[in-house]
Amino acid sequence: MTAATAAEPIKTTAASTDSDVVIETRNLGKTYRDFWGRRKVAALKALDIEVKKGEIFGLLGPNGSGKSTTIKLIQGLLFPTSGRAFVFGKDARDVSKNERIGYLPEESYLYKFLNAEETLDFYGRLFDMPAEVRRQRSDQLIKMVGLDRARRRQLREYSKGMTRRIGLAQALINEPDLLILDEPTTGMDPIGSREMKDLIIRLRDEGKTILLCSHQLADVQDVCDRVAILHQGELRELGRVDSLLKVRDVTEVHARGLTEEVKQKIADLIKSSGGELVSLDNPTTTMEELFLDIVRDDRPGQRPSSR
Amino acid sequence: MRIEADQMYGYFEWLFLHWGLLHGALVAAVMAVLGFFVCYIVAIKQHGPSEGFFVVTRVIYELIARDLPNTTGRRVYALSKLAFQEAIRRRVLVVMAVFIVGLLFGGWFLDSSTDNVARLYISFVMTGTSYLVLLLGLFLSCFSLPADIKSKTIHTIATKPVRSTEIVLGRILGFTAVGTMLLVAMGILSYVFVVRGSDHRHEISEVAADGTGKTSYDARHEHTFEMIAGESGELSQGATNEKKSHKHKVVATVKDGKTVYEVGEPEGLLAARIPVFGKLRFTNRQGEDDTKGLNVGDESEYVAYIEGNSLMSGVWSFNGVTQSRFGDNLPMEMNLKAFRTFKGDIVTGVQGEIILRNPNKQIESERIPFIVREFAIDHKEINRKVKGTVKGEPKEEIDIYEDLAPDGKLEVVIRCTDGGQYFGMAQPDLYLLAGESTFGWNLFKGFFGIWLQMVLIICLGVMFSTFLSGPVAMVATMTALVLGFCGNMAFDIANGKTPGGGPIESMIRMPMQSGAMVDLDLGNKVLETFIKKSDQGIMYTMYALFNALPSFGSFNTSEYVAYGFDIFGGLVARHLTMTMGYFVLTSVIAYFFLKTREMAA
Repeated sequence: MTAATAAEPIKTTAASTDSDVVIETRNLGKTYRDFWGRRKVAALKALDIEVKKGEIFGLLGPNGSGKSTTIKLIQGLLFPTSGRAFVFGKDARDVSKNERIGYLPEESYLYKFLNAEETLDFYGRLFDMPAEVRRQRSDQLIKMVGLDRARRRQLREYSKGMTRRIGLAQALINEPDLLILDEPTTGMDPIGSREMKDLIIRLRDEGKTILLCSHQLADVQDVCDRVAILHQGELRELGRVDSLLKVRDVTEVHARGLTEEVKQKIADLIKSSGGELVSLDNPTTTMEELFLDIVRDDRPGQRPSSR
Repeated sequence: MRIEADQMYGYFEWLFLHWGLLHGALVAAVMAVLGFFVCYIVAIKQHGPSEGFFVVTRVIYELIARDLPNTTGRRVYALSKLAFQEAIRRRVLVVMAVFIVGLLFGGWFLDSSTDNVARLYISFVMTGTSYLVLLLGLFLSCFSLPADIKSKTIHTIATKPVRSTEIVLGRILGFTAVGTMLLVAMGILSYVFVVRGSDHRHEISEVAADGTGKTSYDARHEHTFEMIAGESGELSQGATNEKKSHKHKVVATVKDGKTVYEVGEPEGLLAARIPVFGKLRFTNRQGEDDTKGLNVGDESEYVAYIEGNSLMSGVWSFNGVTQSRFGDNLPMEMNLKAFRTFKGDIVTGVQGEIILRNPNKQIESERIPFIVREFAIDHKEINRKVKGTVKGEPKEEIDIYEDLAPDGKLEVVIRCTDGGQYFGMAQPDLYLLAGESTFGWNLFKGFFGIWLQMVLIICLGVMFSTFLSGPVAMVATMTALVLGFCGNMAFDIANGKTPGGGPIESMIRMPMQSGAMVDLDLGNKVLETFIKKSDQGIMYTMYALFNALPSFGSFNTSEYVAYGFDIFGGLVARHLTMTMGYFVLTSVIAYFFLKTREMAA
């Protein structure tokens, strides 16, 4: 992974260029039944979503909302009780669609007795990649995720962060067109999270489609183009992040170099125009930006605010 | 050692004439139809009748049209390499350590005073290897896939373009590779153990002027020996007597004016005789042909008896009796039993006679007397030229190959000449000896039989593990293993050969303490008929089940190696064919279960 950049707005303004549909669900539902066929849990109810090519699509929701179930149905790990799911125009249960998909599961379920090289070699073989291509790609990915020094150690000796990184590497081994990330920043420190988010943005800018599942609200807000919010198996909200988050009846103004007198004049103007002044104060930065500033500050003992 | 008649069939004879191919096709067809109906019923429950039919046929279509053609060697290799690495890194090599420790201590605790040390050692190493390797295959195959599903590592495989066929094949081949590696190592160590364990030498302890003498007492025995004059008239070569199933050559050389005797290595211990079996029939007391002999009270039908001092005889018919096949003399070996109706002279063995004759009965040899060697193999070298009769006229010299068997067909007639005594015989108890194979090659074939058993266990274990949890899959596989080993007994019950009726009747007889040989009497004919009919249904199901299961016991050819018989190529080929058949069958069943299984459920 590359070093994180200095604190600045993360989301770029790269727009999706075409409307090709990569993932499509039609009335997709899943009800878990017991051995006797009795209905136990309706994990997902009649989900209709489309993920377009080149966008970062977020699946958001609390625990038990159906996010993981949706991802598993799309991957073919579960079979739908109703409706269908399509990926690249193929049914979700069609194994051949996996040629173009990379998947980072929630816990990086990898084989602990293999080391990093063997892990990537194994998954590379599953994509029928020739030996030389596998070798080059594995080497490139191990360096990219920063595991060069630990490439010969078995995964059972890795920390959680290292395991996530090798998990990401195996998800990218086949240069997928669609990347499915289940809780990608879970267990990562803020620098790791930032690097992951930068990578996600970069992959989107390369034309890849990303389906992101998370309950880290800040991460979803930072990177996603569109989100679907699930609750108790139902789709509650769907749309572009900026559009969903816009508070339409409040106006925000950012300005520099205002004196107290000018601020007072602005407050008076708002009052005389019939508006309601909600707040007129200095904006706050985010905890993440503050943390990164402190961590990357090369003047020990000095706070960013003192610069 | 007991050789069943069906083990003597040639490969193509078994395949076409004795229903081998038909039996396999029938098992496959029945499993296919049964499997389809079971799957359809399950699919109806989930999807309804028409959708359920579509679901089942779609899986069949995908197997034939998509999954099988798109199965790649690279992915299968990747998955089998993963299975191999998993096994190695889970310390399966401990099994090898257990085997080595067993060999080290075996040499101390095995009874080397036994009559045939080599047989004991061979049985020990092959039984030990068999248990270890089969248990290893059982544990590896039953727990691997369920562990992957439980730990969700299967998710990272199932979300790749990996077909269910590749997952199944990868597991089977990977575990087979682990077992093969261990089996090869065990085989080499076993060979060294047996050869070194049975090898011994003697010194000459005393020798008389007539060339007879005694050897030293080594390896818990000693021999007497006799030197024979060579071409130069000197007593330069000789042989010891047979003790503990072997003898030694003795060579005398003159060094510095003194005669030095050297006893050679043991001969006959590590044998691999190539027997040629004939077809046995009997003649009754009137001398007429009969299909079976007498039963002297032993309920087993394996051995039948002929009465002494009568026209009763056992007649073996052989084909292909040529000089090129058997050499100048006709080597023959017998393992007859003797049944005594009165004690008489218990020191002298029961006497009998051998007659060689042409099947047209017009030419036959003189009667060759012998005394039966019980519990031992009696080797005879019958001279090519024998006295005999041609159409009743005595002839001074008859050639076995040119006169008695010009078309390769020969009959060997055995009679018991002692009145009131009986000879017991089964078809494999007399055979002609077409040379010997090497012990090492025979041991390899014996280990190959263990390998085939291991492959069967792995196939069954992987199959059960696709739809059962690890422990349950292990129980299911062990059940199949036990039923397979007890196949013959189970078949007899299923066939109704075992007296006492079927399962329900037996459960009624037990509290009633009703003997198995008497008819069931409940005082109600309707109830008795109902019980018998129900039992027939159960036994028919059992019969079908046992026919479908592999008979593990029959794959075990270690007795051949231990008793010094070459394992027939036809038998090896048959076992290999059956194993491949079960490999295909279990792989297809495993595919169906894996394909229709929700990995994340």
